[in-house]
Formats: sequence, structure tokens, C-alpha cells
Amino acid sequence: RVSSDGKPPKFQPPPKPVIIDRRTQKEERRFLSPEFIPPRGRTDPLKYYMERKDMIQRRKVFSIPEFYVGSVLAVTTAEPHASDKSKRFVGICIQRGGKGLGATFVLRNVIEDQGVEICYELYSPRIQAIEVLKLEKRLDENLMYLRDALPEYSTFDVNMKPVPRMANEEIPLNKLQVRMKPKPWSKRWERPKYNIKGINFELPEHKMQAAQKWSQPWLEFDMLREYDTSKIEEKIRKELSEELEK
Amino acid sequence: MRLSVAAAISHGRVYRRFGLNPRSRLDLLRNLVTALVRYERIETPWARADEMRGYAERLIDYAKRGDKDERAMRMADFWLTEKDLIHKLFKVLAPRFQPHPGSYTRLLQIPNRDGLDRAKMAVIELKGNPLPPLPGPRRDSDKTLLNQLLKGYRQDAQRAA
Repeated sequence: RVSSDGKPPKFQPPPKPVIIDRRTQKEERRFLSPEFIPPRGRTDPLKYYMERKDMIQRRKVFSIPEFYVGSVLAVTTAEPHASDKSKRFVGICIQRGGKGLGATFVLRNVIEDQGVEICYELYSPRIQAIEVLKLEKRLDENLMYLRDALPEYSTFDVNMKPVPRMANEEIPLNKLQVRMKPKPWSKRWERPKYNIKGINFELPEHKMQAAQKWSQPWLEFDMLREYDTSKIEEKIRKELSEELEK
Repeated sequence: MRLSVAAAISHGRVYRRFGLNPRSRLDLLRNLVTALVRYERIETPWARADEMRGYAERLIDYAKRGDKDERAMRMADFWLTEKDLIHKLFKVLAPRFQPHPGSYTRLLQIPNRDGLDRAKMAVIELKGNPLPPLPGPRRDSDKTLLNQLLKGYRQDAQRAA
């Protein structure tokens, strides 16, 4: 450093460190369970308010983890006729239905070559534990087509270990394209009304085009069918965070 | 045991049926929306005007997003069959309604149609249009008995307070 007039150089403080606080960005991506969002209809919002209060009460006692359709869960329920009074079932969540206290989720697994689907109610007091073994999302909201897919896509090891996951990471999207058993299927999954992206259709081209006959291209422009939940979600998120902190 | 809802029952259905099929219903409403954007005041059967009102207001909400928005432009392109009106929608109507949060249209009933069908007609107009104002719903004058009694009640309440 060049000294000014023989005196020691003026003390330059080091540059202040730039602190990028990532915590605020991550809080914006909090998960809101879909059964809290009330459906569009003419019912009194008081009903949904009361149900939400009961749901929050249950969540304070029993922790319901965050999961999506396509994640592998292990559920222990109380079973009166089992020897140790509880039953554990492992499966992939194929559907999440219902709103409010009656919210359900269906787990599917193939046990000894027999496909088994069990529909559990999230807020039922019979459920003793819900454990997320593998948290991931799939290309569709509804995986009912796994019934017509090859059984290897629905088999999960009953003694599977939970896949470790770092906190505050993006939920992985599994872009798996499932291969199907030969037709006939339980539903005509190739039709545009199901809008399924997760199947690798090996059907001939003319069959795929024949299925497009049932497409309704005007539906995406029908503005009154859209249900914008952003404001409702914000209110419910605020309510939830307030109640769960008490 | 009847397992399916009878075709005549329509409990809770919000969308009226027009035309031959859902596609033709949307086409009909699309023509009406185009006419409304062009002339800013139209006379149609009341049911069509009522159905069209929701779509017109949502179209203006989309237009408020701006013409850079891809989805807004696609919606405007579908709903306005005359393409010169897309410019009018984004450049004239969207700024006009920017300060208002909702309800950009006014629906008023007019006397039944003169033809054989005597249909219930309505006039639907965009608010803030340059045409002469419609005679809106007239409020009762101050001299009616009820209004005089209410005025007296308000004055007594003011004196007591």
C-alpha cells in the first residue's frame, strides 16, 4: 500500500459480507393440504370453518405429514382382531379425495400377486401413524391407471426403509411413463378427458387419433369453470399458521 | 332401483343450455361478447345476457393482466371473433376498468320482445360507455308515506343521540 506522507495508511474496514437470507424465500413454498381448500358451491362457509377447526384440533394431537399422489406411505391403523391390535400397510398413494374431515387417500400395493387398494380417512381416530417412506410427485393427480399397468409399477417392499430427504428441498417429480397391460382397461385412459401424461401408450397411431375425437378444445376457454383458489389459500394458510402456533 | 338422475332434474346446475351442444353454446355467447365489446350496449334475451355477463367480466379481468400475457392474448383471440376488437379490449376497455375491482356491466330488463315469442329481453351495457345513459331503476321520491316516516325516525334518532 502507498503510505500517505510517511504516516501509516488510513484503516480501510473490510467490505461488509452480503447476507442472502434464503429462509424467507423458502417459507413462501409452504404446503397446504388439499382438503383444506373448500370446493366451489352453495354451502355455507361456516360448515368448512367448523370442519377446519376440528381438523386443526386433530393435527395438534396427531401429526399428518406432507405427501402427494405418487408418494409411498406406511399407515398403521388400530385393528381389533389383530394380535397386537394394529395393522401396518405400505403402498403408493394413488388418489387424494374429499374435502374437510372426510378427506381420504387410497394406497395401492401388490401383495403376493394380488393388487390391494385401501382407502384411509386422514382424520380417522383409528389411524395411529402415517409415515412417508418416499416423498415424490408424479405427472398426474390421479394414478388410478396403475390398476391397468403392469404389476411391477405398483409393487413396493413392505419392509422398505424411508428414503432420506434433506429439509427444504424441492419435491422430486418422477417423470416415469408407465407401461400398460394389453387392452381392455378399466377406463379408456387414452381419451383426452383423463389427460394422463404418465402412461407410455404403445397403441397404434390411428387409435390415438380416434381417441382425440372425444376432445373438447373449447373447455380450456370456458372462463367460468376456472376456480381461482389463491386468495382462499392465503386466508386458510394464515389461519392454519396462527392456530398451530397456539 | 333408479341409479341415475332423471334427465329433467337439474338441481344446482349453474350453466344454462343454449344452442345445439356445449360448443354451440360457447359460440353463441362468444358472438354476444364480441357484439358487446364492439357496440358497448346490446339488447338480447335476458337469459343470454345473464349468461354472457360472467364471461364478459372475466374477459375484462384477463385483459387487465396486459397484452404481454400469453394466456390473456389466447383468451381474447378465442372470445373476440372480430380481431380488431382485441386492440380495443386491451387499449381502451382495460385501462377504463383498471380502477374498478369488478362488475363492469349493467343488466336491465326491458319490455318483452314484439314478435310472436314475447321473450323476456334485457339490455346489457359496459359501464362508462359514451352513449346516452339508460333510465335506471328509479328510487321512490321523498314524498311517499314510507319515506316520510323513515325520515322522521332518522330525525328522532339524531335528536336523541
